Amino acid sequence: MSITLDQVTKQYQGNPVVNDVSLAVAEGEFFVLLGPSGSGKSTLLRAIAGLTAADHGRITLFGRDVTQVSAREREVGFVFQNYALFRHMTVGENIEFALRVRRVKPAERARRRKELLDLIGLPGMDDRLPTQLSGGQQQRVAVARALAHKPKVLLLDEPFGALDAKIREELRRTIRSVQRELGITTILVTHDQEEAFALGDRLGVMNLGRLLETGRPTELYTRPATRFVATFLGAANLLLRREARSGSDLAPARAEGETDSPLRDRRDQEVVAMLRPEEAELAPDRDALLTAFLGYGHVEELQFTGALERLRIRMGTEGAARSSDSRSNEGETSAMPPVWIDVTRTQPEQRAFPLALGQRVAVGTRRIHVLPTPLSSFTACAESRDSAAILMGNPWLVDLTIRMQTRLSAQVEPLVADDGADPVVAPAGVAVVTAGPDCPARVRRLLARGVTPVLCLPEDAAPPSRVIVHFAGQVARRSTLAVTASLLRHVPAEAVFLGILPSDSSERTRTAGLRQLLDVRSEAQAGHGLDVRTELRLGERIEELLRELEAQPGQMLILGLPEPGSLPESFEALLTQSPGWPVLLA
Amino acid sequence: MVGITASSAAEISARPGRRTLTSVVIRWTFIGLSLGFLAAVLLAPLAAVFTTALGEGVAAYFRSFADADTGAAIRLTLFTAAIVVPLNTIFGICAAWAIAKFEFRGKTFLMTLIDLPFAVSPIVSGLVYVLLFGAQGWFGSWLLEHNIEVIFALPGIILATLFVTFPYVARELIPLMEQLGNDEEEAAMTLGASGLITFLRVTLPKIRWGLIYGVILCNARAMGEFGAVSVVSGHIRGLTTTMPLHIEILYNEYAFVGAFAVASLLTLLAVITLIVKSLMEWQASRASGN
Repeated sequence: MSITLDQVTKQYQGNPVVNDVSLAVAEGEFFVLLGPSGSGKSTLLRAIAGLTAADHGRITLFGRDVTQVSAREREVGFVFQNYALFRHMTVGENIEFALRVRRVKPAERARRRKELLDLIGLPGMDDRLPTQLSGGQQQRVAVARALAHKPKVLLLDEPFGALDAKIREELRRTIRSVQRELGITTILVTHDQEEAFALGDRLGVMNLGRLLETGRPTELYTRPATRFVATFLGAANLLLRREARSGSDLAPARAEGETDSPLRDRRDQEVVAMLRPEEAELAPDRDALLTAFLGYGHVEELQFTGALERLRIRMGTEGAARSSDSRSNEGETSAMPPVWIDVTRTQPEQRAFPLALGQRVAVGTRRIHVLPTPLSSFTACAESRDSAAILMGNPWLVDLTIRMQTRLSAQVEPLVADDGADPVVAPAGVAVVTAGPDCPARVRRLLARGVTPVLCLPEDAAPPSRVIVHFAGQVARRSTLAVTASLLRHVPAEAVFLGILPSDSSERTRTAGLRQLLDVRSEAQAGHGLDVRTELRLGERIEELLRELEAQPGQMLILGLPEPGSLPESFEALLTQSPGWPVLLA
Repeated sequence: MVGITASSAAEISARPGRRTLTSVVIRWTFIGLSLGFLAAVLLAPLAAVFTTALGEGVAAYFRSFADADTGAAIRLTLFTAAIVVPLNTIFGICAAWAIAKFEFRGKTFLMTLIDLPFAVSPIVSGLVYVLLFGAQGWFGSWLLEHNIEVIFALPGIILATLFVTFPYVARELIPLMEQLGNDEEEAAMTLGASGLITFLRVTLPKIRWGLIYGVILCNARAMGEFGAVSVVSGHIRGLTTTMPLHIEILYNEYAFVGAFAVASLLTLLAVITLIVKSLMEWQASRASGN
């Protein structure tokens, strides 16, 4: 591996800008870091170059730990968005700068200069001043300058940002061919997904300081694991799909054998599905569809954009789809909110079935990808409509559902179930309850019906800046890790796996405990690409957890249940404290 | 018919770029007014200085520099400037670097402090040093014991001049450095340049015109400072009189040619300052690509 990042973290004024990023870039690879502005991608790149010091973590370049090494000794080439050419030096002097600093002989410098100018396609421009060149030419010179001292790593920070579309494409081609020719390991930072697809051997998508996913462009486009990557890489319709005992109500049922656990069988399973606009099929009637039927809808918007036609279909209630981005204040039994589906069609498709505004169409799905996230939607469960409304108004919860582009609904049910058959359907997705004295009862009732995860939210809960993950049982269950990974992708907070052993435990137990914790960490990393720190404490579990949570405000706890649907009684003390903290039981 | 003609004439005169009689008159009135004002306030005194200085012929003009006290005043002024200007240049670059490149607490306070000499009357700046180092001042008795003269001697003059002129370089560089940003320095670092090389090869060339102008302004003020120096110098002829003080003495003694001859040197300094400034602006506009 030529570039290795290990839990790199950078904070500005207490906020993590880069949050526990671990990444390995292979030799000669063109890696593209993609993310919206403010996602921390540029900061990460500057940390690799040594222009910004990392607060935590390790950066290794070709096996050499450079975390404490200054920028001038890291031997990387860096290209800035606004070129940063030395304005008082000619093109030739700019390119020779790194060689001159290294006291390379003039003849060798001149040879290298000519070589580089040929490489970037600006031969004979040696004596121009940067101001006499166009933006594209200046950026070419900047690339040549960064390559002069033959660095092993080339870092490009939004190099096309200030250029217009045509020059951008030309320069993109130049950079790609230069990179291939030299075989130099390259990281490019951009917010443009088209650029990322065109250049990258591999992409990494960042948001809120976290590296969400890495993979080949086609992999990430067709099989994203997270909502953010699904919607950031091209357009996507996110749908909530219900899989009831009787089968799925969105598409043909998944194998029913999957719902094998008796607890799971007692409620509908809900998953988040992604439908790309180009994977939707439109037909006049259900029978005319060649693909799986989704529902009927009406054409609400129709745009001609050249090669493609963009449509927005308003789905009717007769269809079975629920859009995950619409939020309803009504209970589960009320009418479904309107759902829109974005569709793009090619010219042949348009000719085969011309459409007009308002027309009724049947929508089919060629390919649906189910996101492996256990956090599908949120349901506020309370004994009265008022307390449900208070819960739903919690700014952090609202913020979280907007970030997750999912639905937040309410369900009113009594605190204690009437014995026998429970008349109220168990909520799908994450159940949210108010923390406090009654919280354990609420949680027990939900867990008994197979509802996980459950989020206990104090009324005045603030957005957490630190997430503590603790496993109540002996082992870390896979579903807990999945919930943790999914939540952390949407929360700008640092996270820590906290292991607690009895204070009288032997040296061997301690070593074993630590190893177990590290195993959990590597499993989270392997399975979810999530990197979390680990800490081991000695003491009584509940006491230690309480001490940790009370130590500073703005923390939340993810509590891994020992087995589905069971919360050991001793842990109930964590749900009743006031002022409290959010606890996610998973 | 008449109404139509009038309105179309008004319409034509309202169009930009069209030369009508009114616009020409207005234009020349304004140009004339501003030139006249300039002549009365700036050029006339300038001319008066040189005509008076040369009033008794070129020979008399040069003879006035042969006077021993005048020579001493010129030498003292040059000596003071030679110490004050480099010191304030170094200080100015440091302060500008700190303010433009780093975020730290008390940054605004530091900016205010740098501006202080602009806000304080020069007389007060001089008096402060008398208060500190004068015979009755805070450190006066200690200085007397150790036989160190500050007030009514060269150190006092240098201190007062230093205080009055310290904002000039920093004030000139701060906006320039903030505008130019830090990218080139960062680029130089990734290319392997050390801090010193980065400063000498990248930062200094980048800010050189602003720096030169700041230094020239600082120098002009250092040579021309009257108020603060007047308080601390004690006006000892041939020993502690700088050029401005010497001009006052000569003038009070009705030695007009002598006074104005020395004054003409300071005036020339002002003219050179102006020329350098225009040169700098011309360079700046050329560097930005036009």
